[in-house]
Amino acid sequence: MDTVSHVKNSRRRIVATLAGVAGTIALAGCAQNAPQDTFVPKGDNAQKIDTLQKVVFPIAGLVGVLVVALAIYIFIKFRDKGQDIPAQSHGKPTVEIILTIVPALILTVVGVFTFRTIMDLAKTTDTQMVINVTGQQWWWEYDYPAQTDQGITQPIITSGQLVIPVGTNVLLRETSRDVIHSYWIPALNGKKDAVPGRIHLLRLQADKPGIYAGQCTEFCGLSHANMRMEAIALSKEDFAKWVAGQQKGYTSPDEGTKAKEGETVFINQCSRCHQVNGIKDANGKAIISAPDENVYAGAAPNLSHLMSRTTFAGAMFDLVNQKCRDDVWKAKSDEFGAKYLTGVTTDCLNQKNLRAWLRNAPAMKPMYSDPTKLAKTGGKYRGMPNLGLSEDDIDKVVAYLSTLK
Amino acid sequence: MAIIERPGTETTPAVVTPQQTLGAVKRPVETKGWREWLFTVDHKKIGIMYGVVAMAFFIVGGVEALLIRLQLAAPNGHILSADKYNQMFTMHATTMIFLFAMPMAGAFANYFLPLQIGARDVAFPRINALSLWLLVVGGIVLNASWFLGGAADGGWFMYAPNSGPVFSPSHGVDFWVLGLQVAGIASLLGSINLIVTVLNMRAPGMSLMKMPVFTWMILVVQFLLVFSLPVITVALVLLMLQRSYGATFFDVSQGADPLLWQHLFWIFGHPEVYVLILPSFGIISEVLPTFSRKPLFGYPFVVFSGASIGLVGFGVWAHHMFASGLGPVSVAVFSIATMAIAIPTGVKIFNWLLTMWGGKLWYTTAMKFAIGLVILFTIGGLSGVTHSVAPSDTQQTDTYYIVAHFHYVLFGGMVFGLFSGFYYWWPKVFGKMLNEKLGSWNFWLMVIGMNMTFGPMHILGLQGQPRRMYIWTKARGGEGLFNFGFWNMVASIGSFILAIGVLFFLINVVKTARSGKTAPLDPWDARTLEWLTTSPPKPHNFDRIPVVHHLDEFFHRKYEEDSAANTMRKIADGEELVRAEEAAADANIHLPAPSYWPIVLATGVGILGLGIIYGVPIMVVGFAVVLFASFGWVLEPSVAEDIDFAPASNDGNTKEIAPLG
Amino acid sequence: MAETATHTADHSTEHGHETSTGLTNNKLAMWLFLGSECLLFGGLISTYMLYRGRVSSGPHPSRIFDIPFTSVSSFVLLMSSLTMVLAVSSAQRGDDRRTNLWLTVTALLGATFIGGQVYEFTTFIREGLGFSTSLFGSSFYTLTGFHGVHVSVGVIMLLSTMGIIRKGKITGNKAEVVELIGLYWHFVDIVWIIIFTLVYLIPS
Repeated sequence: MDTVSHVKNSRRRIVATLAGVAGTIALAGCAQNAPQDTFVPKGDNAQKIDTLQKVVFPIAGLVGVLVVALAIYIFIKFRDKGQDIPAQSHGKPTVEIILTIVPALILTVVGVFTFRTIMDLAKTTDTQMVINVTGQQWWWEYDYPAQTDQGITQPIITSGQLVIPVGTNVLLRETSRDVIHSYWIPALNGKKDAVPGRIHLLRLQADKPGIYAGQCTEFCGLSHANMRMEAIALSKEDFAKWVAGQQKGYTSPDEGTKAKEGETVFINQCSRCHQVNGIKDANGKAIISAPDENVYAGAAPNLSHLMSRTTFAGAMFDLVNQKCRDDVWKAKSDEFGAKYLTGVTTDCLNQKNLRAWLRNAPAMKPMYSDPTKLAKTGGKYRGMPNLGLSEDDIDKVVAYLSTLK
Repeated sequence: MAIIERPGTETTPAVVTPQQTLGAVKRPVETKGWREWLFTVDHKKIGIMYGVVAMAFFIVGGVEALLIRLQLAAPNGHILSADKYNQMFTMHATTMIFLFAMPMAGAFANYFLPLQIGARDVAFPRINALSLWLLVVGGIVLNASWFLGGAADGGWFMYAPNSGPVFSPSHGVDFWVLGLQVAGIASLLGSINLIVTVLNMRAPGMSLMKMPVFTWMILVVQFLLVFSLPVITVALVLLMLQRSYGATFFDVSQGADPLLWQHLFWIFGHPEVYVLILPSFGIISEVLPTFSRKPLFGYPFVVFSGASIGLVGFGVWAHHMFASGLGPVSVAVFSIATMAIAIPTGVKIFNWLLTMWGGKLWYTTAMKFAIGLVILFTIGGLSGVTHSVAPSDTQQTDTYYIVAHFHYVLFGGMVFGLFSGFYYWWPKVFGKMLNEKLGSWNFWLMVIGMNMTFGPMHILGLQGQPRRMYIWTKARGGEGLFNFGFWNMVASIGSFILAIGVLFFLINVVKTARSGKTAPLDPWDARTLEWLTTSPPKPHNFDRIPVVHHLDEFFHRKYEEDSAANTMRKIADGEELVRAEEAAADANIHLPAPSYWPIVLATGVGILGLGIIYGVPIMVVGFAVVLFASFGWVLEPSVAEDIDFAPASNDGNTKEIAPLG
Repeated sequence: MAETATHTADHSTEHGHETSTGLTNNKLAMWLFLGSECLLFGGLISTYMLYRGRVSSGPHPSRIFDIPFTSVSSFVLLMSSLTMVLAVSSAQRGDDRRTNLWLTVTALLGATFIGGQVYEFTTFIREGLGFSTSLFGSSFYTLTGFHGVHVSVGVIMLLSTMGIIRKGKITGNKAEVVELIGLYWHFVDIVWIIIFTLVYLIPS
């Protein structure tokens, strides 16, 4: 009796050791601080998935180790040592039935938990805030409908970086203006496709302030790889500040400054597609952009408070230089809000990439802006064309954009 | 073509002169040189050609894979442009699935299925040839796009609306749609042909439950194809009508639902996964028993699990769409159904292990590859189980974790199975043994390369590297020694080791062809009927149609049970058995005649397809060729009149077989 | 697919060999092909059912369908199934003259149906329902057009078979050839009954 249990114990120990070794190798082999790690939940929904994963993956791993160990045992034990040809036995139905039922039982247990998690993650009754998320080639637009209980008195439109308050159940209403995209912030939830003509719901909730990386994960054409995004979680107070900043009115640069000249260039060259809320032409008439006349998807990023974001061009490029980027990305969660709300200061501005972008956008990010390839879209661009700005104009536009705090 | 070679009897090949003009032109008379291959209807020759075509495309797809790995070896790769990269991964998958995996399984099925069931050919030899040539035409159409304005760039899943005329304006997708439709017709005809062959042409005594497992798995696969191909055909036709004729099926501005494509695609696409893997399961279900010297453990369970995998495989397509916005109830149902598939799959793995249990394992290269499949497929299968958990899948889908999963299943599973089949059956097909030493190099390099390439992808995916991206950036790559840069580099190096492994196979083939040693008739002490004939088999396969009494008939003709010693006693060897068959050969075996029409008809279909891209005149030409070939075909008898056969010689025992029919 | 039905020339390499199932290879193949076709039409019908109410522009189905007219052409197609049965039974009795007669009548009825479809299509186009007009238009023309192509292929097969029988060049079993075409023909008719019910009779 004792020996039996001893053997059992030591076997169990071997298995546990093997599993442990495999686990350690897997963990030790991982990158540190990978921004899109799927095993580092930072909010409720991701946590629910993680809880499930942390059961399923070890079970799968353990089964794998057991099967491989058994296989290796068989390979060694039954190798040809000159033994007789074995009896031609055709199998034992009892063994088969056991080997069918055991996996079935394991999977039933997994199935029950899976089912519950699926239902939990589909709940929408506890929503506290709604944001409309629209994908298009190759950037994300966020549109915050007015929600007075969240302090949003007039709609906010922004892009690239989704800003949410911590501890709040946010419901994203996703759709697309062209092809299928997929919204994925691994730290906050799994992915959900944004499909044109449909609205799909995705719950997000962040426990702590911070910046959480994401990436479009449904192949969406040429620049799919460059369609990134971040979710920014701010404390409730900081979120209120951010909302206030977004709802602040427009201030035209002072006369005689380079920025003022830049505004003119912007009005002539950029405002056909890019809206800046409150901008007026020389006659004092409000300028409303009409991206639908030039861009196939019918939208271009709203640049009203560009310098409150730290990325541009579908979050492909940082709007801040490396030092300031690290400052934000590596900030402790209690300091994060203040750092993010500082926005892009003149010192921080990533002049190099922004200028290169203004000089020749399609060279920086593959897009459909070659007029010869636009027959099927009636001449409309998919992405931003090369505007042919002079270096002087670029200087001016950069100066102007820097004022869009 | 020599007909029957028997020591002591000099037989002159029958000279055949067709007496009548058949159809529009005379039936082919000459069967020497290249014509022997182009116009053949012999399932064995067709099988070999399937193999050659598939291997060529394996190399094409492999080069595409290496370019992809070169591009991704380091962040912000610049080997390929975004556009070229998107074409590359689209064509890599399309080529590997439709032009390598399916045809290679077709090569094995064509060659061995009639041999395993004791038949002299497939049910419809000319349709068999037509399938081959349609596949070749489809492959050419698909790859012609590289030189005619760029290949398809929408991914092998070709999701709408990205594949529509607006978002994919080049002709790449048009070539893709047409190439796949042509290859689809090839597969459909092939599958009907093979089902009829298995159901109708088994040797006397071979009940369904005495069929070799390979034949069983091929049968299941053909049923999957018969019922899934029409669904993808509908999807392809809808897309073609939209792209070429202005239909609105996936035009969202008209109110179309893009998910229609996904449903149609995956209703085909998931059974397709089993279409890819089951032939390999069949192959190793032959190899493992042979080299374990034991019958397959739980034969009926392996057969029924294969069939149930096929059946359930039709009900789980939406697990490719967990992130696509299905309702939670559908997601839950498909999630649970997917888990259910793991059960019959597990049954297979356990049965393979139990087949080896208590056996006398002989580690040939074929056996090593088969074992490789068992282990690597287990790993891929278990990562598959983690995908069936829908919430978890929404984190991992479209990341490298999925890429790792299906390469373990398809490379570790399917490809290893096919290589096992190469080494096992090479002596049968070519009468020469592949070199075991080179085989060992081939195997170990492939195992190392495969694990180095796809193993790290598990980590990359779980840490958030999405797939289908032409570049990855350091900013999302994490820190520390084991950041994405490290693992991507390992994967890229691994891919080249893998390629060298495959190269060893090709070297082995060349070396064997030049100086390989002649294979004995039964080199592996095998178990099934294909070994009950010469190597390579005669044109008519069997001198006498065998009468089957056992599962593993060939083995049981060699061995007798010694119940006292609980072992098997050898009573005959393979050589003797084959000679005995030759001595009792049937007289006057009529084989189907070669035909021009399959290749002509296939060409016509190809031209017709190009007409859809390049306009009506070309279409008219294609249609004319198709019509001409169809009538030629119908008016041509597949077996020549008796008058066309050389008269039997006076020696009552001699048989003359006219290779032309 | 014209070849498939008349592929009687391809058979097992031994004449008169008993098949394992008792069905001839040709017949088994035809059944499998028709099984596959079920899924093909299943896909097309599903597409139509999904899209039939989606009319972004152009006429709505209820406005353009002429039920009495289509009922008549459906009846014509149904009758052709009857004449096909008569052709098969004549062929089995070895009565070449009647076989030819009934094949001719079947082909004529099929051609009449196609004529009706062409007339219907032209009327619809005149009333503003183009192939690209709406999802309804695309899916309607695709579904009924696919069916029409199947009927046309059937007619060509019928005429060809007659020609070949008359010239005495038929390869294989004559009655079986006619029977196989019959199977195909009945299948196409049954599909039409389903299409007629779902597309024309059930209002969207």
